Amino acid sequence: MGKLAGKIALITGGSEGIGFATAQEFISEGAFVFITGRRKEVLDAAVATLGPNASAVQSNAENLNDLDRLYAEIKTKKGKLDVLFVNAGIYSGAPLGQITEEHYDSIFGVNVKGLLFTVQKALPLMGKGGSIILNGSVVAVKGFPALSVYSATKAAVRNFARGWTADLKGTGIRVNVVSPGPIDTPGTRVLGNGTTAALDQFATQVPLGRYGQGNEIAKAALFLASDDSSFVAGFDLMVDGGIGQI
Amino acid sequence: MGKLTGKIALVTGGSEGIGFATAQEFIKEGAFVFITGRRKPTLDAAVAKLGTSALGIQADSAKLDDLDRLYAEIKQKKGKLDVLFVNAGGGEFAPLGQITEEHYDQTFAKNVKGLVFTVQKALPLLGKGGSIILNASIVATKGMPAFSVYSATKAAVRNFARGWTADLKGTGIRVNVVSPGPIDTPGLRGVTDGTDEGYKQFTDAMTASVPLGRVGQPEEIAKAVVYLASEDSSFVAGFDLVVDGGFAQI
Ligand SMILES: NC(=O)c1ccc[n+]([C@@H]2O[C@H](COP(=O)([O-])OP(=O)(O)OC[C@H]3O[C@@H](n4cnc5c(N)ncnc54)[C@H](OP(=O)(O)O)[C@@H]3O)[C@@H](O)[C@H]2O)c1
Ligand SMILES: NC(=O)c1ccc[n+]([C@@H]2O[C@H](COP(=O)([O-])OP(=O)(O)OC[C@H]3O[C@@H](n4cnc5c(N)ncnc54)[C@H](OP(=O)(O)O)[C@@H]3O)[C@@H](O)[C@H]2O)c1
Repeated sequence: MGKLAGKIALITGGSEGIGFATAQEFISEGAFVFITGRRKEVLDAAVATLGPNASAVQSNAENLNDLDRLYAEIKTKKGKLDVLFVNAGIYSGAPLGQITEEHYDSIFGVNVKGLLFTVQKALPLMGKGGSIILNGSVVAVKGFPALSVYSATKAAVRNFARGWTADLKGTGIRVNVVSPGPIDTPGTRVLGNGTTAALDQFATQVPLGRYGQGNEIAKAALFLASDDSSFVAGFDLMVDGGIGQI
Repeated sequence: MGKLTGKIALVTGGSEGIGFATAQEFIKEGAFVFITGRRKPTLDAAVAKLGTSALGIQADSAKLDDLDRLYAEIKQKKGKLDVLFVNAGGGEFAPLGQITEEHYDQTFAKNVKGLVFTVQKALPLLGKGGSIILNASIVATKGMPAFSVYSATKAAVRNFARGWTADLKGTGIRVNVVSPGPIDTPGLRGVTDGTDEGYKQFTDAMTASVPLGRVGQPEEIAKAVVYLASEDSSFVAGFDLVVDGGFAQI
């Protein structure tokens, strides 16, 4: 029997990259998975690959009305939510001196404000045994050139897990973070203009000597989603090849 | 198929507590497991419960000769090692002002020096895909009364995983740490006065500051160790996986 048999999961930003790999893993462990994304055609293609245990809801994590519609739909279709993987996030570079207000607002809008309301609006659907996983990043604890705004959003994310673990005491709902290192996804290939150039550069600094794959984050998210991690709370599980560790 | 099918594992201090629960979980996932411990009757009883996929070798991790004998036997019986869980260890209370040289020497000998040589002497048997897991504790980052020497040994343990991750670059062997919070084991009982009443008082006081509101069970550490031992954690290195009910997180 799968580790998530009978569970209902939501993965925001589940149409590509880490979110999509996690949807595949959750389904193979027996869950029914809702995924979101902004682009309809990418969502449709993802659900076609994921099969009958997946359902897509086109929605933008930054848009609070979209979130209300999303949870209304999950409530109608399944009536509850067991696992929430808040994965939708964006990243782009801007060195100090060239940080624009638009850069700041867009990244904080999705990664911090969008994440906060994705969690808060999910609470009425969640109960004892529920697991919330926030997608952070190793950049929350390590400086990289031109990534200061993105890094700050991820430090905020990591800290939400502390505060919410305190707030949710007694509810039986756990909150944890998974923090990837450099992972080969459509998003990081965009940073390398369609190639793995950006990833290759990071890989030289990784003790394991390579960048990671989406399914390696999916396995960590599965650990945090399932009862295997029943005594893990408020924690940041870093899957970074050691880049943020040594 | 199990997550550790065909793997050979060693769990030091595997006859009771967290080590025993981990041996059980490893076997469930398909591994063959060697366990160690100092007390022969406890070791024999553990192996009897674990069944035919386990073998006990009486050895004290603080004794380098014992470690040589241990690895010679593993080499002879199985020829290799895939997973090493360095779990043997423990601590006793001594507040500053009452720390004796003996307390210091013993605690560092079993938790630090024994751990260093348990790992170093295992290297010839380990290869690509190998996974080393060190058992530390949340006390490595959190101060608790009368536990400073034990805490210092565990901070040392956490840091070995950093240095060894750098040293082992290119070998395909990963080193990580698991850091339990308060876990219901004979060891935890051992630091109290031994009565049920005393143990309850001690754990009640502690769980008041655990967000999940309880002490953990050894199986909950075992599941984390399986994650670190298996390919599920193939991109996790030099990391400290804390399983503490949130105790040291918030
Ligand atoms: N890849 C890495 O190296 C890495 C490292 C550390 C942390 N992370 C974190 O991991 C998460 C996923 O990264 P990734 O590399 O997998 O990204 P990706 O390849 O760019 O995929 C992002 C996914 O999220 C969706 N998405 C983006 N913005 C959204 C929004 N506002 N609302 C709803 N869906 C949205 C995208 O679809 P649409 O564009 O159609 O909306 C897509 O499905 C992010 O939080 C990122 O910060 C990634
Ligand atoms: N329980 C907790 O709350 C907790 C929290 C954080 C960290 N930890 C760590 O987890 C590990 C296991 O703790 P536990 O609570 O499971 O301990 P435990 O219940 O006392 O069991 C310890 C096991 O290790 C063996 N052992 C002890 N010293 C040894 C040595 N020098 N050489 C070989 N075997 C030895 C014991 O058998 P013999 O006595 O027969 O040798 C027994 O099998 C320790 O490293 C401890 O510091 C525990």
